[in-house]
Amino acid sequence: MLKSASDGTSSTQSRPGGGLEQWAERHLRYLMLAPTVLILLALTIFPSLYMFYAAVHKISPNPDLPWEFVGAGNFARLLSDAQFHVALRNTIVFTVVAVTIEFLLGLGLALLLDKFIRRLTFLKTVLMVPMMLPPIAVAITWKLIYEPQFGVLNEIMYRLGLPLQAWAGDVNLAMFSIIVADVWQWTPFIFLLMLAGLASLPVEPYEAAALDGASSWRQFWDLTIPFLKPVIAIALLLRVMDALRLFDLVFILTGGGPADRTKVLSLYIYQVAYRFADPGYAAAISLFVLFVTIVLSTWFMKRMRLAD
Amino acid sequence: MATRILHRRSRTREVLTRLSAYLAILVALILTLFPIYWIAANSFKFDIDIFAVPPEWLPRNPTLKHYEEAFIHRPFLRYALNSFLVAVGTTVVSVVFGTMAGYALARFNYPWQWRKQISFWILSTRMMPPIVSIIPLYLFFNYFQMLNTKSALVIAYTAFNLPFATWMMKSYFQDLPVELEEAAVVDGDTRWGAFRHVALPLARPGLAATAIFCLIISWNEFLLSLIITLTEQSQTLPIGIAGRVTQYNTYWGEISAAGFMACVPIVIFAFIVQKHLVRGLSLGAVKG
Repeated sequence: MLKSASDGTSSTQSRPGGGLEQWAERHLRYLMLAPTVLILLALTIFPSLYMFYAAVHKISPNPDLPWEFVGAGNFARLLSDAQFHVALRNTIVFTVVAVTIEFLLGLGLALLLDKFIRRLTFLKTVLMVPMMLPPIAVAITWKLIYEPQFGVLNEIMYRLGLPLQAWAGDVNLAMFSIIVADVWQWTPFIFLLMLAGLASLPVEPYEAAALDGASSWRQFWDLTIPFLKPVIAIALLLRVMDALRLFDLVFILTGGGPADRTKVLSLYIYQVAYRFADPGYAAAISLFVLFVTIVLSTWFMKRMRLAD
Repeated sequence: MATRILHRRSRTREVLTRLSAYLAILVALILTLFPIYWIAANSFKFDIDIFAVPPEWLPRNPTLKHYEEAFIHRPFLRYALNSFLVAVGTTVVSVVFGTMAGYALARFNYPWQWRKQISFWILSTRMMPPIVSIIPLYLFFNYFQMLNTKSALVIAYTAFNLPFATWMMKSYFQDLPVELEEAAVVDGDTRWGAFRHVALPLARPGLAATAIFCLIISWNEFLLSLIITLTEQSQTLPIGIAGRVTQYNTYWGEISAAGFMACVPIVIFAFIVQKHLVRGLSLGAVKG
């Protein structure tokens, strides 16, 4: 207290422990950062190291048996594991198709609302509701809609004179059913980000463009899209990262079936670890997923200069 | 004459464009709301009416039977309470530490470009798919005998919410003018005091938005809870719901009731905080 020259009239004056306080004040930049860094170190570095360790071992489901060192064996298995290849392909198909549809619909909807009904915040919030709901509730809702016997979707098909389908239970439609449910839940997220981006567009370039007689189509391509580019980049990055880890929808709607058509990487890792009781191999697949995600997103962020 | 026709034609076109835009928005609204309505409607139907073909668009004989079943005869209230406690615990931890770290990264300088490196590292931990960290976390909690505890869930969820909170708050503080804090320091306040008395009150909307998102993410989380908890005493609402979809039977009425009840707090919450929600997310995400 005595030595603290910078302590003025604020409430800190009345607190005891001046020496310690002064020390804390001098190292504030580290002290404020420390809890977060320490927690994240413990919760990410430890699991990562542990994963590397587990990935080079064959771990018996019997906890009394020692781990058997297999070196790169688990990674070599990836090359010849047909189920892994199926899961990888399904994940890529899901990610590309779902994120593309979500992006187009979300951007389109944002443009419509921005141009035609700007002030209705209430309406915007209604349109954003799906992204806030528990994915498990979303999965169950769509399970009910897709139900082949009494589901409402088949009722609509019947009314329209179209053939009834098994939807999530059909080999050819299962992935499509998952994608529809995901699009329903996550288009609002893209919509929200695009709406925020549109709200922050400057007005002047558009006035200038209108004076030059540029069509609204030209204005969209030459002004709106370039302005929105950083927002678009972030929206896509976040959605792709989430799509790569899809689990809940598949777990409830199809369980990975029929005939492995919706088996995605997260579900496969879950099955390997807990159903086939092979955590060592599951760790190897997880590392593969982690590696791909980090490489992809780092490359993307560098490219889009998002990390500054 | 010619100009008048042209004028009239473009007005018709404008009206048509407007109408089709409204129509598109209406379709989007119906598609957004119908599934929510449908799960709500089914939660109020007797089993026999859930299975009716053609389906009952409106519950003819509304009943609270499934709510009674889920919340009185089965432990859904316990699940909901667990979800709530875990969500609040995670949010408090993430927002408190995330705000401090976010402030530090927004305002202080560090040697050797640490600021950029640490910021990026923190964000990169958010990229880790949960399934990746599940096996080590499971073994970790097993070792410390923390499986089936709510603290284990809070710890696991914090791993995902803390990076998010840090980044949201960092971009929020970067948006606030630094001059006010400098003035406070000139007036004799400490750096910590300037943070507490000047920056923190100004950052309230950002804090609200961050807290809202942490709450929603934790309330909705499924995978980690599925692995870490196996007992009724510790399981969360999403797990309780999923547990009623069994290999042999799906208890439609009961899971509709529980599923709808899991959505209700989130939706009410979303409307109460809608202003913060849009502003918060757009700030956090758009500014990166």
